[in-house]
Amino acid sequence: MNIIEMKSIKKDYPLGETVVHALRGIDLDVEEGGFISIIGPSGSGKTTLLNIIGCIDIPSAGSVKIGGEEITSLDDRRLTNIRLFKVGFIFQTFNLIPVLNLLENVEFPLLLMKEGGLTKGEIRKRAQKCIEEVGLGSFMDHRPAELSGGQRQRVAIARALVTKPQIVLADEPTANLDSETGATILSLMKHLNETEKTTFVFSTHDSDVLKYASQVIKIRDGHIIDIDGPGAAKKMKKKAGPAKRGTR
Amino acid sequence: MALILKIAWRNIQRHRGKSLVVGIIIFLGAMTMTIGNGVIAGMDRGLKENVIDRFTGDVVIISAKQDQDNVIFTPMGRDIEVIPGYEKVKKVLEGKKFIDRFLPVAKGLTIILNENGDMSYALALGVRFDEYRKMFSDSTDLVEGTLLKNDDRGILVSTGNRKRFFEEQNFWVIPEGFSFNEKNFMKESSKKSGVIDKRTSLVLMGGSNENSTMDIRVDVKGVMKFKHLDDFWNHFNIMDIESFREVYQYVTASDTAAVIPKEKKRILEKDNLDDLFGGEVLEKVETRKQGYDVSTLMGKKVVQKKLDVDSGAYNLIFVKLGKGADAEESVLELNAAFKSSGAEARAIIWRDAVGQIADLSAIMRGATRGFVFLIFIVAIIIIMNTLSMAALERVSEIGMMRAVGAHKSFISGMFLSEMTVISIIFGCAGIIAGIVSVYILNAINITTENRILELLFGGSVFRPVLGIFDILKGFAYLALVTLIATAYPLRVARRITPLDAIMRD
Ligand SMILES: Nc1ncnc2c1ncn2[C@@H]1O[C@H](COP(=O)(O)OP(=O)(O)OP(=O)(O)O)[C@@H](O)[C@H]1O
Ligand SMILES: [Mg+2]
Repeated sequence: MNIIEMKSIKKDYPLGETVVHALRGIDLDVEEGGFISIIGPSGSGKTTLLNIIGCIDIPSAGSVKIGGEEITSLDDRRLTNIRLFKVGFIFQTFNLIPVLNLLENVEFPLLLMKEGGLTKGEIRKRAQKCIEEVGLGSFMDHRPAELSGGQRQRVAIARALVTKPQIVLADEPTANLDSETGATILSLMKHLNETEKTTFVFSTHDSDVLKYASQVIKIRDGHIIDIDGPGAAKKMKKKAGPAKRGTR
Repeated sequence: MALILKIAWRNIQRHRGKSLVVGIIIFLGAMTMTIGNGVIAGMDRGLKENVIDRFTGDVVIISAKQDQDNVIFTPMGRDIEVIPGYEKVKKVLEGKKFIDRFLPVAKGLTIILNENGDMSYALALGVRFDEYRKMFSDSTDLVEGTLLKNDDRGILVSTGNRKRFFEEQNFWVIPEGFSFNEKNFMKESSKKSGVIDKRTSLVLMGGSNENSTMDIRVDVKGVMKFKHLDDFWNHFNIMDIESFREVYQYVTASDTAAVIPKEKKRILEKDNLDDLFGGEVLEKVETRKQGYDVSTLMGKKVVQKKLDVDSGAYNLIFVKLGKGADAEESVLELNAAFKSSGAEARAIIWRDAVGQIADLSAIMRGATRGFVFLIFIVAIIIIMNTLSMAALERVSEIGMMRAVGAHKSFISGMFLSEMTVISIIFGCAGIIAGIVSVYILNAINITTENRILELLFGGSVFRPVLGIFDILKGFAYLALVTLIATAYPLRVARRITPLDAIMRD
């Protein structure tokens, strides 16, 4: 099943007198459980694409379905609910609420889910488990300011996963980290992708990442110019159906 | 909710500087407001005590013919109309249960003359003094001499008028039968040197511009000072009603009874000043019925042995209402009763009778309110700015919360909680500080002789008060200010999108 279906997505930004065409017609389907990397030069539209998938931006034209639900016509309240229940986010920086400690930060989205049906105890347990999975079990009561950049990104991953979302989106999650820490973060993501079967979509400049990806989507000037990758190739053979290519 | 409060509380601590700025502004605003409310309430109480309870009563009855309501300090000392047929009016007043007591008086401008041709003006209140004391027991302090008795002839001169007479006519008034009190002289008079011309009686002429009047010499019985709002009231001397009527050529009760206690009266015709100052007494009573029909004034009680003062003329009746009676309603009811009984009188509220004092105090009240309002506006603007800046500084944080799934209502809740907590802590502290200040201001007994401050104080002592209602009102205003000040920053915060957070990166 396709967890993401995008058809003829365009995004224009008005910039003074002119208009910037950030996305010029993207067609993209993403299968459940994938580990998808978006690469492309600066200004090619990676962030814009991820924002639209994550329901924090709306396309100028085209249709987007997340888990089968068309999102382009939803109001703020519904979009917020999709972000809360279906999507997990990992930003480049500033992922955490400074006044909450690590455990509270990870609990945060669960506490927002009023209809989630979890008790306080269950929420705590689940948050603790996620934190332990990212290897920060001994830092539960530290505030974000007391952690290193890599540790903060790990907390962000734990928070993104704690709600058991269908998709986790990450916009250059390793850009602010040194390459060694970046590599551990990526392998952690890959590990969680495999164990939790969560779909990951992330953008990166880092070509090392390619070896992890099930699919690599190359974009330039708002177009998808190629979809490929070792994982993608394997899967394509298995399922005998190529992912849709961006039209030029 | 617990989560919102937790985040709000920690944010307050995290942004301690801003919280403190907003908190201090709220504290000062709440304190100023509380003190302001105390001053206004104290002023209302003061005016009630010092005007209603000590001079006019709650309601004033005037003649139906009197067109200007402003009867106490009439412009240019103009005359006010006599109430015709007092008996009828009295009957109406006596029949009303909501009236506690009432006092008929005659009020007018008198001219104080001397042999050099100098003159001074003074307002006079003609009363039966015992009745006056019953009605306004606490309004004057006797400085020298004695008080009047009901049937005494004589005048009580206010210290204010004594000082004015001395400045204008160079004589110093001392009560008859009393010696010169040097201490009071040094205290009251502005000129201290030279030979002092001391007088124990005054030659008065009615200052009427409509009726002809008479000059009479009246003994000074005492010198008095009004306890409160003396700056206003000290234009009044208090004299016996009979002498007043003679000066004003109203028909007197003495005329009615045809009894003339010679030793008490020294009445002269007008333009006979030489005789007056020569001390020669001309015992001549002449009733001139200028403008007033004797029969309406006197009713039918023409022949009576005892002096029936009430059958003479009055031009004002001060009415005190019983507890709980509403002044406005009482005025309506009295006017209806006057109409149906054919009494040619009109009831007005005290405020209208002392136009200038009421107007000035309304201005003072307005100014106090305006000041508090201004503080509010300034507070709201500062808080609004600080919070809007706080919202903008937290774009990344708020945008990230929204990206993770927080609804707008969560952001509102967080902001409102922060403001509410600050507002409760500092606002309550401010209100308490205000209450304490009001008590302290009360305790340190600030007194004034300045007439403007006297109005603000509602008397010569600054006595701000705070009732439970005023305090509750304070809390309501505090909540209102908090809401208004938070409304705009809240809008700013609610409009922050996840995208704003990302673009910041
Ligand atoms: N809010 C905006 N207003 C105007 N133009 C924008 C806005 N956001 C993005 N753009 C433009 O859209 C294009 C795509 O931007 P986007 O951020 O998606 O690129 P990117 O691939 O993420 O680049 P980078 O690798 O530098 O992060 C760029 O030309 C950018 O200038
Ligand atoms: Mg980008």
